[in-house]
Amino acid sequence: MPQLIKVRPTKIELIRLRRRLSLSQRIQKIVKDRLSILTMEFLQVARETVEAKENLLASFAEAYKAQSIVTGYYGYIALEKELVASEKDIEIAGGSRSIAGTVVPSFELEESKEVVRRYNLVDTSSWLDQSAQLFEKCLEATVTLAELQSSLERLGREINRTKRIVNALEHLIIPSLVETIKYLNMMFEERDREEKSRLKRVKVLIERR
Amino acid sequence: MNKELPYDRILQECLRGELRVVNAHLPCKQKLLSDLLREEFPHLVCNDGSTHLFKKKELKYLAGLLDSKEQEELPLPLLIEVNPGQDQMAILCRSRSEEKVISRVLNMIVKPRQNKIILHSPHLALLRKHLKTTTQYLFSPDIL
Repeated sequence: MPQLIKVRPTKIELIRLRRRLSLSQRIQKIVKDRLSILTMEFLQVARETVEAKENLLASFAEAYKAQSIVTGYYGYIALEKELVASEKDIEIAGGSRSIAGTVVPSFELEESKEVVRRYNLVDTSSWLDQSAQLFEKCLEATVTLAELQSSLERLGREINRTKRIVNALEHLIIPSLVETIKYLNMMFEERDREEKSRLKRVKVLIERR
Repeated sequence: MNKELPYDRILQECLRGELRVVNAHLPCKQKLLSDLLREEFPHLVCNDGSTHLFKKKELKYLAGLLDSKEQEELPLPLLIEVNPGQDQMAILCRSRSEEKVISRVLNMIVKPRQNKIILHSPHLALLRKHLKTTTQYLFSPDIL
């Protein structure tokens, strides 16, 4: 049973309530649409997250396999000596984008401007090149997964919040407004009837005199 | 007597916030694809003051679908208009380049009607999958 809103039983209040009801109904439509968009995006991101995670695990498995071969071929010390010189910073362009009002992060790994790797290409074999290439793929997959997981969390939170608003509108605000408007209408009709019967009574009394 | 219930008041404030939030992320001005391709960090400033970052990969993908003249006609982000209570959504389309992009991405022929391309949810999901940062939702001003 929806709760009646405590208002003064006046025509002005009735007009205000009607306005509030139409606003609430419009907002309900918008919020419902927003919820359906967010849900669609959430499912899409969830699917992509699963794919990205599988991709990441596969890339790491491949990369570690290649690295273990390289390590076996050169030995730890020799390999480390080559790799120390090839260390470089990675550049990630970070920003944000919005999905139906929900801000989610957006990351993109900047492509390296250096074409040549910094380690000695003469003394090393193609195994090392392959290993380096595979680890670059891992890096890209990690950045993608970070973006997707963060988006997934934020979208989930927003869906929960929006769902609460939709439920509040559907089960609380709109029914209570409808009920209060109905109550006020009935009250005004009752007042009219009272007024009519009072006037009739007065008329009878005047006629008796 | 006139005093509203605290819960009712909180909900009203929430709803006002919801209306503010719904179109706040729209860009102040759309940029052309050709201009965005020249930028080091392609981005836009939105109505709420935030920045919207485009992914270079997506821009390159779009550039691959269009010739240089069409690249100068394509405004980004593409706006997807959401109408209340309808299953279908519309993409605002002012030039031939939008039509071409959507046809190529969805791999089907699309025809604009009154400067709008009507799309259903499955197509929309596919479009958003390929063009995440280059499309943006717009809640129809008619319902606001």
